[in-house]
Amino acid sequence: MRRQPQEQQQSGRALPGAVGALCRALPPHARPAPDTLRRARFDRPQASLDFWRLLYGLLKQIHGGKWTESDAIDNQIRFVKSTLWYHGYGRPELYQLPSDGSAGSRELLLAFSWLLHRLSLLEQLLARNRVKTGDETSVCTCEDDLPNSKKGPTEIAPEYGPEDRVDVRYLQWLNGRLKFQWRSLHAQHQEQCKLLHKIHLFTSGSHMDQNLGHFSVTETDLIRQPENYKQLLQLLESETMQLEAFLEWKQLEPVYWQWMETVLDIMAEEGNPCESQDAHVERSGLPEVTSCCPWADNLTEHIDRLSRDLMTLRDQLQKLVMHRKAAWCEKVKTREEQLQKEGFPATARKIQESVELKLQDLTYLCAPRKNRAHGSCRLVLRSEHPVSKSGWARCGGLQDGYTIQEITEKRSLQVVSPAHGCFLLRTRVSSSHPC
Amino acid sequence: MPALGAVFLPPRGSEEDEQPQPDPGSSDGQENRPSPKELEELELLNRALEKALKVRKSVLKTPLKAQGATEEKSAGEGPPPKNVEEQQVPVAVEDVPESTEVRAVSKKPAAVKKPSPYQLRAPYRTDPDVKKLQRRAPARCVSQGPRAAGKSSSKGVACKQGRSHRKAISASDRGACAAAEPQKTPGLSRSALNQQQSFSIGDSAGGKNSVAAGRQLLDAGKKSCSLGESSRKENPAAEGVLGGSTSPRTVTLQEKGCQLKLPLPYRKAYSRNSRAWERCRLCQTSADAAAARNRFIERIQTTFYSPMPAFSPAEIEEELKVFQDVPSLLSQYVEAELADYPTLQREYESLLTLEGLETTVSQCLHKLQLLQTAVESQRRLRPDCTGDVGSCSPACVPLRGQMCDRASVLAVPLLCYSSFQELRDLFALKLQVSMLHQEIALQKVMMAELLPVLESRRYPETSAAQLYRATYTQLCEGGKRFPVLVRDELAD
Repeated sequence: MRRQPQEQQQSGRALPGAVGALCRALPPHARPAPDTLRRARFDRPQASLDFWRLLYGLLKQIHGGKWTESDAIDNQIRFVKSTLWYHGYGRPELYQLPSDGSAGSRELLLAFSWLLHRLSLLEQLLARNRVKTGDETSVCTCEDDLPNSKKGPTEIAPEYGPEDRVDVRYLQWLNGRLKFQWRSLHAQHQEQCKLLHKIHLFTSGSHMDQNLGHFSVTETDLIRQPENYKQLLQLLESETMQLEAFLEWKQLEPVYWQWMETVLDIMAEEGNPCESQDAHVERSGLPEVTSCCPWADNLTEHIDRLSRDLMTLRDQLQKLVMHRKAAWCEKVKTREEQLQKEGFPATARKIQESVELKLQDLTYLCAPRKNRAHGSCRLVLRSEHPVSKSGWARCGGLQDGYTIQEITEKRSLQVVSPAHGCFLLRTRVSSSHPC
Repeated sequence: MPALGAVFLPPRGSEEDEQPQPDPGSSDGQENRPSPKELEELELLNRALEKALKVRKSVLKTPLKAQGATEEKSAGEGPPPKNVEEQQVPVAVEDVPESTEVRAVSKKPAAVKKPSPYQLRAPYRTDPDVKKLQRRAPARCVSQGPRAAGKSSSKGVACKQGRSHRKAISASDRGACAAAEPQKTPGLSRSALNQQQSFSIGDSAGGKNSVAAGRQLLDAGKKSCSLGESSRKENPAAEGVLGGSTSPRTVTLQEKGCQLKLPLPYRKAYSRNSRAWERCRLCQTSADAAAARNRFIERIQTTFYSPMPAFSPAEIEEELKVFQDVPSLLSQYVEAELADYPTLQREYESLLTLEGLETTVSQCLHKLQLLQTAVESQRRLRPDCTGDVGSCSPACVPLRGQMCDRASVLAVPLLCYSSFQELRDLFALKLQVSMLHQEIALQKVMMAELLPVLESRRYPETSAAQLYRATYTQLCEGGKRFPVLVRDELAD
């Protein structure tokens, strides 16, 4: 490493600060002790277990699954390995670590740092665990993944042998009940809207945050009964401390990464390369499919289906284009001179440009979009439509948001809007009643 | 045929009857004829009210100001109520003479016509001309006294400061009171309103009133009365004992809302918190940090498996999510070009578009192939996951599109609405989307399960027709419309 002694000295001083800030910026439930990281650098086996647990906790939060701290260590390890694979972590040494958590803290430290970058771990966790003081809602139309959605239908249905028969009327009745429940839910939602609106309206002008303007339900209740909300206050305080740690960390970040590079140095010195070569050979020498992988099967099925559709389309297009082209050539052959006189080439160029634009839109729609309108937003009543976004005061980490009007306009203008894989908004929706 | 409908089949069109009527503009939501059951309940209620009056008389000496009389405006809704707000079932009930006072103060002329002030009358329309504002009357919180069931009264935000205490009487014509029943609220909390107020669903036209002191009264409107189950329970109207109400002088949220202030500790915490968020949002990664980080990442990636697949599993899934709609999107574009082209220019344009689409389709196919290769490579690299795949695989609980760039993650956008209607539309649409998702899933399952039954012909021949009809209805009509089966006997 090309570090001067002075730099080294500085980083030596700053390192504890960086590591400390990093630890404090992590959420309280999955917060390591700075010592764990230091021990991991030296590959102390005692730190391994803690590190596995740490990664498990952090990754579970990101993936939103059920938090089961009581999970056995090997389950946790399997989960972590699986998640790292899922995100594209490719160090074979990690996957070879024993599943009793007895060794490998240095590998885990590397993986942890990689995740910090790859998943924007700190930012993600901060955003996910944000203390909610407002009325939250979201505008994305993503399907809520049911936990059972991957299971086959037979697993959920009651066990009926071939001899048993289920009366189809029972199905109808269930269906009716389901519809009824939806309607009830709708009615209750509407009621909730009404009350929400009232609160927002009646408390307009009271909030110290000008951007918001009015209280949310929680805040209104807080006024009425402050003693119930001590925990909320505590959460806010601890979140503020976490945020300040994050800011500290951002200042000291370079030190941390340099430190991580030294870890890589150590590993290089200790002669790892040979091992990893073997691992490569070993891995790539494996036969096609040893164990079944439902994930891969599922995706392959998906891809096949899509390919089939596209191939049908391609064939159709090929025929069409051939046909049209022939017809066009015929037409143009006879009229070439006339077209030249009319200035057709210029028109042709314009047409080309417009078609290019049209197709560009198409490619844009076909590409993954990082659409911000995905998470939850705070619902705010604004009586006048804001003239421009810049006119909004920004504070409290609340950026310019959306108005419902804008969103409906945007969505209706897009004739086909693949809003996160949901095509349903294309259907005409009436707002008054779900059925 | 009729026999079939017996137990399970909902009678045709019944579902329409059960529809709640959410729109304010639509019917007032009254039934024209109260059923005998309702009359019965009304009777009970009247008796309870009388009892309450007596109790109150002896308890309270000071007259109640009819402060609440003025407030029934529900914001953003229809015309101001002209009726006595009958919803008010009373906490503080005054003597009869005072009732007239209340009514005089209130702006509701209709009330004066009532002969006996605290009797709820069966045909609710005493004055057909007077507009009824059933549904639209705002929620009322009667008192802050201890609630019988200890149900989340603290969440009764809509009437935070407590509303005025009104008399039983004023609930003149419309017995449209909704009482919060402890038993009922659990059912309601089940819905998305968990964190919000608890309110009860009352039968506005059905006299489901109960007099209970210290209970939260909310008007849930006609729509809720059609929610059969919960609203039809008998109220223990006998619980007319009115607990001590707290300050008789209560203010409404409407009056004081704009002057409220959050408590100081919260304000401090909140502003510190929001300032910290803002600083974090604006915070940029320094160039040094970025450089150091990239160096580390590059180095560590050189130690990865040597032919790394082009896409990580997460990226594959992300790409495929977008691809879901591509075929239909492209088809639509192609469809658009199949129309006739009147002019030469149009024909040329059409040709170019089709050629472009052809290229796009090829590109997509190529991309899919790449993804498929990546899937295969990743399959080989996957760490062994023997045992319960479901719990350990993160692929089963995928990220929900949260992989946006760092900075934007730290900002919570505001969703602004400008009118009540917008808010309602938002909720209604979201609900509809969820419902449609579910319907799609159900449709898939039902197709998979029902169609084989039809094809295998394993059902008794006698019920073939009904089975076909049921399957047709379920799969093609969404379970709503039943076709008519006609037996056509052809004379040989």
